[in-house]
Formats: sequence, structure tokens, C-alpha cells
Amino acid sequence: MSFQKTLTRRMLSLDFLDDVRRMNKRQLYYQVLNFGMIVSSALMIWKGLMVVTGSESPIVVVLSGSMEPAFHRGDLLFLTNRVEDPIRVGEIVVFRIEGREIPIVHRVLKIHEKENGDIKFLTKGDNNAVDDRGLYKQGQHWLEKKDVVGRARGFVPYIGIVTILMNDYPKFKYAVLFLLGLFVLVHRE
Amino acid sequence: MLLTIVICFQWRIDEKPVKIDKWDGAAVKNSLDDAAKKVLLEKYGYAENFNLVDGRLLICTISCLFAIVALIWDFLHPFPESKPVLAICVISYPFMGNTMLLLFLSNNIFLVSVQKDPAGMDPDHTCQWLSNVFFLFYTLRVSFTDGKSKHSREQEITKSVGAFFDENGTLVMDQFEKCVSKLHDTLATEKKTK
Repeated sequence: MSFQKTLTRRMLSLDFLDDVRRMNKRQLYYQVLNFGMIVSSALMIWKGLMVVTGSESPIVVVLSGSMEPAFHRGDLLFLTNRVEDPIRVGEIVVFRIEGREIPIVHRVLKIHEKENGDIKFLTKGDNNAVDDRGLYKQGQHWLEKKDVVGRARGFVPYIGIVTILMNDYPKFKYAVLFLLGLFVLVHRE
Repeated sequence: MLLTIVICFQWRIDEKPVKIDKWDGAAVKNSLDDAAKKVLLEKYGYAENFNLVDGRLLICTISCLFAIVALIWDFLHPFPESKPVLAICVISYPFMGNTMLLLFLSNNIFLVSVQKDPAGMDPDHTCQWLSNVFFLFYTLRVSFTDGKSKHSREQEITKSVGAFFDENGTLVMDQFEKCVSKLHDTLATEKKTK
């Protein structure tokens, strides 16, 4: 009986949890809080960027090669969406088509502008042969300001490849997040 | 068989000897702080005052709440409308964090012990125990405040970390207990001579 006990105890020993097993309630709560603080800080930075830039998605990753040679798949773009900046022909805008979730990064080709500032504009990817009317909603021929997520103000090449990998292999994403979370929860500062 | 496995697995491991990576400064400090707490609370029977720790936990919790409020508000009222609320939350979050940092400067305090007056008449004496790890040296400092006269005294002791851990990184409790007791008794005798 005691041999069985020692054998099972050794099999179940999870040494990396030793620190956690010695903690009292307050210390355990502090570990969870630490994890929460890290997540909250990341969240606050993201929301802060949203407020400062005025765009609901201040950082986006280029997913297709339709803007080569300017932007390649995997580039990271920084966007702003200030009301004071008018959209002009030749600018690169990131927009969302109604009913579709994924934003598109293309260049503005034509603009119709009313006196009160309302605009309708047409876009086309630099590397595409035709304009984007084929991508717009059925019956829609122009985009409006409300479809715009932001204007590209700066970019960092290649870094976004990680995001593309995470989206293509969601199991990889969950595994990384799970391991990171576990590490923060178990490690004492 | 399964039942024996379930019964054998015990979560709390208070009796298992502490084993750490002796080159990890933070782990050394944490394990020595915990051991000092054990000695002071069990051997000398002091009570722990949780005010400082609870204050820290509360402020962290409030910061997280701010973040959660921002998240939920933004979810319910999509972006442009939620701007002012988001701005408030984002600005107040680091303020909470900075208050935390100020309190954290007293992070080296790992225990505030309370010595209750046996007669129950005078206010309690409090001790603040601080520790610091610098290179391979562990400094334990105690700041004693008399409950009645509000006088405070400080004592400290510095020892090489190698005195408490063997080559495998296992904490030798006896050595450390001796060191803590020595500090405690020096403080106590000083009390008597004054």
C-alpha cells in the first residue's frame, strides 16, 4: 500500500507548482491580480491609442499583396482618423465594407465632395488591375466617411507576420496565450 | 487505486523543504522572506497586520475595475460615442498605477507584525520587517515602534545567502531561524536596556 502511495505521489508531483502551493489566500489573489494588471495595462494602452488617434483600430496588419510594392503582406500599419484631416486623392485609407469584418488597405482614386464636407470616394489597390467596385456591397458604388477606419500614417515592415500566423493556426495562438498566462500566474514577480 | 491517488495528492505543502534556484535573486528574497515570516509568526506568536497588503490589493483591484468598465462601455456603445468614458478610464488607470508604485517603494516590507499587550491595556507594538537582496547578501531589517510611546528603533543584520542554502538550493531552515532569532533577541535586549 505505501509503495503504491509513494509511486503515485511521485507521478503526480508537479514541482513547478511548488511556489503556488505554498501561498496563502492573499498571495494567491495577488498572483491573479498581477495577471489581471498585465491584461488591463495592455487593454488600456490599446484603448488609449484608440482615443488619441480617433480610429477604432489604430494598428492593422496588411493581409494581401494588393498594395505592393508599397505594402507587403505582414506589414504593420499605424492609422489615424482625425475629423479635421480631409481625405484626398492619392492617400492610402483603411476601410471596412458594410457586412464584412476584415478591413481593406487601398488607395483613394476619385472623390466627390459636397460643400458641407460629405464625401463619396472610390478606391483601388496599387497592385490590382481594376478598382474596388467589385468588392463593395451589391449596388454600392462609392465609399463614405463612415466606412473609413483610418488613414495610414506610418508602417513597420514584416512584424505583422506573427499575427497572420496566429490567425492561420489558431491552435498555436491559444497555446502561446495559455503558456504565457500560466507563466504569469505561477511565477512570483 | 484511483481513490488512493485522489487521497494522496495534497495541495498545501507546508512541510516540504524549500528548493529554489540560488542564482535567482527574486526567488531567494521571496523564500527567505517566507521563512522569516514562518519563524516570527510560529515561534514568537506575533499576529500579522494586513493593512499594507490589503491596501495594495485594493488599489490594484480598482485599477482592474477601471479597465473592465472601459471594456464593457466600449462594447455597449461602439467607438466614437465611448470616447469620453475611455479617455477617463485610460487617464485614471496610470494614476492608480503610480499610487501603487509609491506604495511599492515600501515593497521591501514583507511583514508587519503586531505584538499584543498581554494585559490588554496598552496599544499594540508594531514591527515592520524589511528585507533586501544585493548581490549575494541578504539584509534583514526590523523597525520596532512602541505602541504607547510611539518611539521607534531599528536593527539590521546582513548575511551571505550562501549561509542559508546548500549547493542544491535547498533552504536550511535551522541556520536561518538562528539568524532571525538573533536579530529578534538583539532588538528585545535593546528594548530592555532603554
